[in-house]
Amino acid sequence: MTDLMEKRIADVVLYGSVIAALIFFYIPIATLVLFSFTKSRFLSWPIPEFSTRWYGELLADRDFWSSLGNSALLAVLATLFATLLGIGGAFAWTRYKFRFQWGFRILTFAPLLFPQLLLGVVMLLWFSVLAGWLNLSPGLWSAVIGHVIYITPFCIVIISVQMQGYDNTLDYAAEDAGATRWQILREITLPLIWPGIFSAAVFAFLLSWGNFYITYSLSGSTRTLPTFVFSGIAVGSSPIYPALATLTFMPALVLIFAVDRLRKRAARRRLSKIADS
Amino acid sequence: MRLSTLPLLLLMGLFFVIPLIMTALLSFQGTQYYRLVWTWDLKVWTDVFSQVHYWTIMWRTLVMALICTLLCTVLAIPIAYGMLHRLSRWSDHITLLMVFAFLTDAVLKTFGWVLFLDRSGVLNGTLEAIGFPAASVNVLFTPNATMIGMVYNLLPYTIFTVALSMARIDGDLVLAARDAGASRLRAFVEVTLPLAKPGIWAGAVLVFVLSLGVFLEPKVMGGGTSPLAAELIRQSFETRVNWPLGAALTLVLIVIGAAALTVFGAVALWQARRVAND
Repeated sequence: MTDLMEKRIADVVLYGSVIAALIFFYIPIATLVLFSFTKSRFLSWPIPEFSTRWYGELLADRDFWSSLGNSALLAVLATLFATLLGIGGAFAWTRYKFRFQWGFRILTFAPLLFPQLLLGVVMLLWFSVLAGWLNLSPGLWSAVIGHVIYITPFCIVIISVQMQGYDNTLDYAAEDAGATRWQILREITLPLIWPGIFSAAVFAFLLSWGNFYITYSLSGSTRTLPTFVFSGIAVGSSPIYPALATLTFMPALVLIFAVDRLRKRAARRRLSKIADS
Repeated sequence: MRLSTLPLLLLMGLFFVIPLIMTALLSFQGTQYYRLVWTWDLKVWTDVFSQVHYWTIMWRTLVMALICTLLCTVLAIPIAYGMLHRLSRWSDHITLLMVFAFLTDAVLKTFGWVLFLDRSGVLNGTLEAIGFPAASVNVLFTPNATMIGMVYNLLPYTIFTVALSMARIDGDLVLAARDAGASRLRAFVEVTLPLAKPGIWAGAVLVFVLSLGVFLEPKVMGGGTSPLAAELIRQSFETRVNWPLGAALTLVLIVIGAAALTVFGAVALWQARRVAND
């Protein structure tokens, strides 16, 4: 085989697989966006006539609004706790040295390696016992705890990656200059790892927002958007769900691109600082 | 031990370790009239090990998980390599697009697949429009549809881990192999692949473990006709209210997953030692 021919084949395979992967990833997403504009009650192709009718029906649906509220509350709480714990965890992972550090790393990483349904089921057993003792029933509170357990490892990893390139001498310099530990944290460490924290928070928010398995096991009778959709499509496909999907895609898209912008700007600023010095 | 590790330790201990221990304890209890009875016997375990029904489902879960792992790993290699070495100028944007697809609500994406693959869905409608017979692709509500859904939801994990380890490879090594007369394919097989092995294995193990617990895809895309272990667990908790049974089945899956992870960890450690000794 000639070298040129080999290159051609490699090009076709490599370009082809990346493009095929992108198409594969966007098939269901594009399908939902298309069907959200149908006028018909039946979701069959080709779409006979276009309209925004189902958006109107969706916005008039009271269950939609309550699940949206629950999803938002759950995601905000889970993001807050998971990000804060993620910062602490990332410090313990990368900057400190202590006994049993490997054990600590494994323990704090383990939930990520768990099938989510099992994580949810195992926690549900415990929460039911707790709920019996404390006289409350599983609901949003248990879902928040479940999400935090599941999402914190992601936050630790993302923030740890950001801290890998952290220059410890900066802290020593500040200490020599008489800064307190709190000042060092606030004025030097946090601003430097800020992009990592921000992407961890966004990742946490979206993981919680789209989570099905853990919410399904732990939220009791409280419904979030994913469980609302699941109970709807289990009964029979309703035409409002593509509209719901399209509406909820938008904020996620904006958030992800905002993170990317921020990360790139931070990287550029660092580069220009190095060039200046 | 540092004080700042305390909140995390407390949280993981209270809501991750204790629940695991609880699950183990619960599997030795019994039920009577839909209520838990503290009996401390092995009845549930003898049930689990003696009933063929459970083993067919466990076996099916294992086979599906292995096929899914193989597909995700094999597909991820050219995708990750292509992202890094052919579309490198766009790789940031491609990554973002993949992250967005990955982070989107799995229930909605699975429902999107149903609409796409349905008898009167986008795929069949389009095929019909260009001359194929009506409903020529009949994949929805079969195990194949479940597999499509599983690969769809888990492929990003292997792509990201493989790409991460391929990006770290020193390009000069590949150039050296090419200079020494190796063909492109040979340089890829003998230099790039071995160096990317940690990422490939890590992705494969991750996908294997996560695919043990799928429940959405067999239910929504597979039509519930060939349930996997997660569905069995859900049923024993919800429909049959047999918590000890559900706990025991959960433990079986956890043990399978933990065994895969342990083997992987041991091999990785052994390899790292060998490299260090060389």
